[in-house]
Order: sequence, then C-alpha cells, then structure tokens
Amino acid sequence: MATIVQFLHSIPIDLLIIQTVNGVVTGMILALVASGLTLIFGIMDVVNFAHGELFMLGAYMGVIAFAMTGNFWLALALSALILAIFGAALQIVTLRPLIGRDPLNTILATFGISLVLQNYALWQFGPVARKISEPIGAEFTLFYLQYPWYRIVIALLSGAIIGAVWLFLKFNKYGVWVRATTQDRVMAQAMGIPVPLVYTGVFALGAAMAAVSGVLFAPFGGVDSQMGLQWVLEAFIVVVVGGMGNLGGSIVAAIFISLLEAYAAVWLDPSQAVIVSFVVLILTLLFRPTGLFAAPK
Amino acid sequence: MSAATEAAEPLVCVEDVHTYYGKSHILHGVSLTVGTGEVVGLLGRNGVGKSTTLKTIMGLVQPSRGAVLFAGKRITGTPPHKLARLGIGYVPEDRRIFRLLTVTENLRTGLDRHGVTEERRKTLLDKVFTYFPVLAERRGQAGGTLSGGEQQMLAIARAMMLEPRIILLDEPTEGLMPRMVAQIRNIIDVLHGERVSILLVEQNVPLTLEASQRVYILEKGCVRHHCAASAIDVNDPLIKQYLGV
Ligand SMILES: Nc1ncnc2c1ncn2[C@@H]1O[C@H](COP(=O)(O)OP(=O)(O)OP(=O)(O)O)[C@@H](O)[C@H]1O
Ligand SMILES: [Mg+2]
Repeated sequence: MATIVQFLHSIPIDLLIIQTVNGVVTGMILALVASGLTLIFGIMDVVNFAHGELFMLGAYMGVIAFAMTGNFWLALALSALILAIFGAALQIVTLRPLIGRDPLNTILATFGISLVLQNYALWQFGPVARKISEPIGAEFTLFYLQYPWYRIVIALLSGAIIGAVWLFLKFNKYGVWVRATTQDRVMAQAMGIPVPLVYTGVFALGAAMAAVSGVLFAPFGGVDSQMGLQWVLEAFIVVVVGGMGNLGGSIVAAIFISLLEAYAAVWLDPSQAVIVSFVVLILTLLFRPTGLFAAPK
Repeated sequence: MSAATEAAEPLVCVEDVHTYYGKSHILHGVSLTVGTGEVVGLLGRNGVGKSTTLKTIMGLVQPSRGAVLFAGKRITGTPPHKLARLGIGYVPEDRRIFRLLTVTENLRTGLDRHGVTEERRKTLLDKVFTYFPVLAERRGQAGGTLSGGEQQMLAIARAMMLEPRIILLDEPTEGLMPRMVAQIRNIIDVLHGERVSILLVEQNVPLTLEASQRVYILEKGCVRHHCAASAIDVNDPLIKQYLGV
C-alpha cells in the first residue's frame, strides 16, 4: 500500500502534461502519414511499401522549394502538388499494369520502388542531411519548458488536412467513388465509376499527404534519404492497430500509440519506449487481428 | 418465325460467345438477342452459365471467342464502367450493395454522372422512392443493414439511376417473400412500359414466362431452346428436364 502511494506521489504531473502535448503532436503527423497509407491500402488491398519514400521525397521537395521561394508554406503546397503528380505517374507506370494480378506482384513492386527511390535520393542529394528551419519561431511557456508554437500549428494543420480528406470522402462525388471502389471494385465499375482512375487519384492523394507530413516534420530531424523508414514503420503499426483500411481507426490508433510512447518515455529510455508500439501491435494481432478500433463488419 | 420470336430492333446481340474461367469452358457458343423495349427470360438449371452470360455482356469476364454488340456496335473488350455509361445496368445475383454506403450514397454512385441536372436527379430519385417506399424510409441507413429484400430493391433502384437502355437482372426474386416478389414483378412491368429492355435470369419459371416476351433456355453453356414465352408448356417433359423443375 505504502509503495503504491509512494509511486503515485512520484508521478511527475508536469512531465506527464508535457508528454501529452508531445504525444498528440507526434500522433497528428503520424495520423497524416497513416491516413494516406490506409487510403491506399483500402483501394489496392496491399500495403504501399514505398510510402516512407514518398514522405522523404516530399521533405526534399519542400527543402528545394523553400530554397527557391523562401516561403515555408508555399514550399509545403508545392511539395504536395509535385508529389501528387509524381504519385499519379508512378501509379500509372508501375502499379496500374498489375491490377488484377496476384497481390504479391504489387507488394514486390512497391518494395522495389521504395529501394529505387531511396537510392535515387542518396545519389541525387547526398548523404548529408538537409536542414530547414521552423517557419514559426515563437514559443510559449509550458512549466519549465519553452515550447515551440510551431509544434502546435503542425498538430492543428494535420488535423485540418485529415478533416478535409474526411469531408471529401463523405460528401464529394469523387469521395463517394473512392468509398464505393474500396468496398467493391467490380460493382463500382458496373455502376460506371472509372475504377483505374480512382486508383490513380487515391495514390496521388496519399502521396500528397505523405509529402505534407514530410515537409512539416523536416524542421525537427533534418532531411535525408533514410528519414522515411522510421515513420513508415510506425505508420504500418498504426494502420494494423487501427484496422487495415479504416481511416478513423488509423487516426485514433496514431494518437493512442504516440501517447503511449510519450508516457513510456517518462520512465523508460526513449529508444526503449518504441517497444511499446510493438507490444500493442503484437497484442492487436493476437487478440483483435481486424484492428482495435475497427467497426465490426 | 412468328413476330414474337424475332427482336424487331436488336439492342443487345450476343454472338457465338465462348467464355472460360481459367481452364473450365463455361459458355460454348451462346447466341441471343434482346430487342429494344423487350423483356427476355434466360432460364436453365443451376450452373449452366446464366450468370456468366450476363457477366460476359457486362464486360466483367472476357469471352475468348465471339462478340457482344450493343446498339449495333461491338462492345467486347470495352471496360465495364464505359458500358454502364453507354446504358447497360447490372443487377448481380448476390446484389453487391455497397454495404458501408447509405442508401442515398448507393444511389449516388449511379447518379453522379456527367450531364445529370439537379432536376433530373430529383425525378429519378422520386421515381424509385415511389415504387420502393421502403428505400425512402431507410435512405440514411447503411446498405449493409438492409434486409435481403430491401437490398434487392436497392440493387435494382441503383441500376435504374443510370437510366439504362437495358438492365441485366440476375435472379431478382431469389429468397424473397411474396409481397416483395410482387414489387419486383411490378417494377419489371414499369421498366417495360418505359421501353427499357430487360434480360431476366430467374429460377421462378412462372414469373419469367409472365413477365417476358421471349425466353431462351440454356443447357451446359449452350442455348437449347428459344421461343415466345407464351409457347412454353411447363408440363412438357422436355422443358421440365431443361429447367430441372
Ligand atoms: N469465378 C468463377 N471461377 C470458376 N468457375 C466459376 C466461376 N463462376 C462460376 N463458375 C462456374 O461456372 C459455371 C456456370 O456458373 P454460373 O454462375 O454462370 O451459373 P448459373 O447458371 O448462373 O447458376 P445458378 O443458377 O446457380 O446461379 C458453374 O459451374 C460455376 O461453378
Ligand atoms: Mg447464377
């Protein structure tokens, strides 16, 4: 009894609040990466292994566009646009011809694309990480910390983008096409929906979302050819835990897992805290393989 | 040939179609026609290839030989979404409602086409809601939560949103209670009155003979018999054998 009381007293409330803010901020970027991934999964039925490289290329495009325009937000929009076009072209050239084949073909293709893009980035941009500074320098006081407003803005912006995508899927004509195609692509075709075009559009949208997350994250860690790996791994976990292809589930799972990791980091070393997400993944696969937050079918 | 056995103005012609699933040869040279405004029945035992014939017309499976013509033009190889836009509506035997889409959204998949005015949308929706009032009641409900009969009505209503010139109807009354069968029977007559062609696959022989002008009987992937619906005698032992009744 005494030890429990002692433990409760030892919980640093201020640190927990800071970690809550951190967890939500990371969770929102992760949710943005994972929503693109889960949208593409819903359409193609296979995981896009090149998603992390779209994130990475998006960050590079942001750096380049920033150097040219000097405006971070303009660079963000340009990067999203460029990656959307690139994603569409990539889908048409490499994945569209594989529609209707064994999913293994598509899995291998996206894996191959990921390797090619990673090595291309290394060759083109070199091994030294590029830096891009935060567009908002202001900070506010959070207990003993000076907390950057930029992080709060990122969380809000990611939330706004996800909200916009949700509204699009829910109400827009093309959003209804996407949902119909996700559920039954044969019947969608029979209803006159140009399914190959929907595939390309969703891939482009997913690529643009990855690019935006890449640019938003770039000021924290720098931009290099490997930066997509860690994010895509976390995003995979989120997509599985949230229920494959379930957009709402992915968002909840992203925040859930990021919060868990942030809290774990209070007691554990940050590198060990990552283990928490794997534990959640394994438990999900064991006990609820359709996802923790999946609507029962 | 009597007037009833020939289609005056063929809208769909299936010409000597051979279709395979992998290595199994399912259709062995099926030929049939459906005239404009005509209701044509397609009968036969289980597994003779009735659904496969409809899928071949819809472009969902490709014939290895033969051709399908629509309004005189060859449509073999045309992707299904273009056929839907040309005016072929498809109601599959397993209904294939978009389960997570609401009733309205299911209908929208056929309405969100180029050149459908707001007024036209309203007319089309009002029409199906008049014939299938239950769909109006459930318009905000997810398709997957509807009963089997309601799903069947939604599948037909959804195809009607395309304003098709022909509807391929695969076993629309299967497993439905009599009141719903009557509603389906009614909508067939309504569509017929609007000169929409119908190719009707059914296990319900009396209903098919009543609703259709002509019927084809399939056996083992071939057309075995073809005549005016009124000329079929269900008590004929040969017919009984073809239909397995
Ligand atoms: N996707 C498929 N792959 C392989 N074989 C199939 C496939 N679909 C149908 N078949 C086979 O093709 C044959 C014809 O099937 P089809 O569905 O056209 O029959 P049907 O006349 O509609 O039968 P029913 O009255 O039972 O609906 C059947 O033997 C069936 O097993
Ligand atoms: Mg069938």
